[in-house]
Amino acid sequence: MGMDKLDGVLIDTDVLVVGAGAGGLMAALSAKRNGPPGTRVTLVDSWLIGRTGHTAFSNAWTIVALPGDDIDGILHEIVAGNDGIADQVLVRQALVDSHARVKDFEKMGMHFGRDEAGAYKRRPTRGLDLARVMYPEGGGLEFAWKLRLALERDGVQLIDRLFITGLMRGNSDRITGAVGINSRTGEFNVIKARATIVATNAITFRSGFVRDITGTGTLLAYRAGAALRNAEFSYVRPGTPKFYFEGITFAIQEGARWVNAKGESFMDEYEPEWGDQADVPRIAKAMAMENRKGNTPLYLDMSPIPEHLREYFIQSKVKWMDYFFRKLGDEAKTDMFGKTPYYALNQMTKMGIRTGADCRSDVPGLLSAGLAQAGCANHFAGFHIGLCVGNGWIAGKSAIEDIEHLPGPSLDAAEVRALHAETHAPLKAASSAESDRILRDLQAVMFAYDTGILKREDRLQAAFDRVTALAEEFKNIAAPHTHELVRLKETEAMLLAARFILGASLYRTESRLSHFREDHDVRDDANWLVWVDVAEGGNGPSFSKTPVPTPYCPVTLPRRKPSRLAAAQSVAGV
Amino acid sequence: MIESIELEKCTGCGICDVVCPADVIHMEPQPVAVEIAGLRQTRLLPVIKFREHCITCFSCEIFCPERIVDVHPSVKNRPRPW
Repeated sequence: MGMDKLDGVLIDTDVLVVGAGAGGLMAALSAKRNGPPGTRVTLVDSWLIGRTGHTAFSNAWTIVALPGDDIDGILHEIVAGNDGIADQVLVRQALVDSHARVKDFEKMGMHFGRDEAGAYKRRPTRGLDLARVMYPEGGGLEFAWKLRLALERDGVQLIDRLFITGLMRGNSDRITGAVGINSRTGEFNVIKARATIVATNAITFRSGFVRDITGTGTLLAYRAGAALRNAEFSYVRPGTPKFYFEGITFAIQEGARWVNAKGESFMDEYEPEWGDQADVPRIAKAMAMENRKGNTPLYLDMSPIPEHLREYFIQSKVKWMDYFFRKLGDEAKTDMFGKTPYYALNQMTKMGIRTGADCRSDVPGLLSAGLAQAGCANHFAGFHIGLCVGNGWIAGKSAIEDIEHLPGPSLDAAEVRALHAETHAPLKAASSAESDRILRDLQAVMFAYDTGILKREDRLQAAFDRVTALAEEFKNIAAPHTHELVRLKETEAMLLAARFILGASLYRTESRLSHFREDHDVRDDANWLVWVDVAEGGNGPSFSKTPVPTPYCPVTLPRRKPSRLAAAQSVAGV
Repeated sequence: MIESIELEKCTGCGICDVVCPADVIHMEPQPVAVEIAGLRQTRLLPVIKFREHCITCFSCEIFCPERIVDVHPSVKNRPRPW
């Protein structure tokens, strides 16, 4: 194939953004709008920008603080809801900026619903009392597409189907861009950049449905010298293998309850104060405990929901989900209203790149946005995108500040050739596609409830050893074509992420948020009000603690059961 | 998971390929019936190339202008914790 011979395309830019979800789209917009005229901004994604990523398939709910809202109150409840594991400066800035961003979105043609008096239609979100979410008509698909069109109008260079495989350092101590391949043709691309923003989302281990997000950028950042944090926290939530249901929170607000195989309502036993309205990790933990007791299958009993409201739950404003329910037809009605077993699924890791509140990583020239940035360990409905919009804007501004002080980067020909060879090394035309086999084994380890949800030292260690063995086996795997080469590199990143997740879970010897250690089952603020960071220590990954600064609010703040959320709210018209 | 594309009604616009976030559908030259025996003719038409990697996002069906793509709402191989 002549893959050792360098052959490809060179692109020269000022700011490179990798990944086109909410964080990447906003980082590109921010860099372009905050930069001096003529600033070159390039946004790349492995698929079609505006039609891919977590954001495009979400409902694009976002927490927005409007004038008159209690920003510090919202900050307090987000920090409390994160059990303290939040960058308070960053979260606060995201809230402060959120109203201006909505104004930007409206200028791009997005429509946010308003009531007859002209006020925005907003609703409370799970686990928060003061915060309010709103969303643009058309959900994530329209949100992402309108942002794509705005970036085109602003003159941002958009490159679809470019899968990034490595970050460059040139002859310097900073990141000088990235290399990648066209995810269809395999064509090699070198992108020389003065600042690089990684916004490649989280790692889901391909847990299913549209959450097929592989988060490879964070692992590239690790290999380039950045530290990763929050690996021990995951987004565990109830789900079914049969369909995807985003409305669990609202269903519970309307009367739905969790029941076990015996028909018993079980949440009150585990969460006496919150019951079925407990936050998602606590529901997942209770489900895992019920499984251990032999009380599965578990169901979401939606029979208490009044008949006239049920139709709401088998339709969706999210287009793909609407198709989903419509095509399921009557099956959706019977399944959703109590017939389908639910599982506690570990949907994605919260691991992100360690940065300051300015979104700069420890490595000069490398910044981060979106869920690839470790701003929070837990996200409420509406704060996934709310934080991504906020940190994307901040990352773009920081990148512009950086490039004003930095000389243009130079390429290192030897490094480019080495990255080219490394990118193509697994490509062997005569091989068979095997990365999925390793992926299935990896999923079996990482999704097991007594590893991913109920953790204990011996089981974590056994899982770590199993993943290490899988990684060893993986070294012999080849790819027959570009499609498989991309999947292989994604699986390679997942294998590395799995070791960080298990390693950090072993390291944090307390329980907090979605991290439940059966052998250390209490929250220990005296010793563990810290971020767990992992960085290359010379001899492999090295874990360390960084105290969480608390400039705005104490983290001993207990979580309160939101009074307004407890009162049933009609879903009609929202 | 994607089931089928009615190729006889397909205009070959390629939108299904472009919007697929999992690289499942590829536009490829496919033989078509020709007017004169002995001549070979191909058209660029969508091929479901990696069906097992479909993530059931419905994008191909949603954006197909001819409404000829069918995605089944079943999801296979979803990992389970127990």
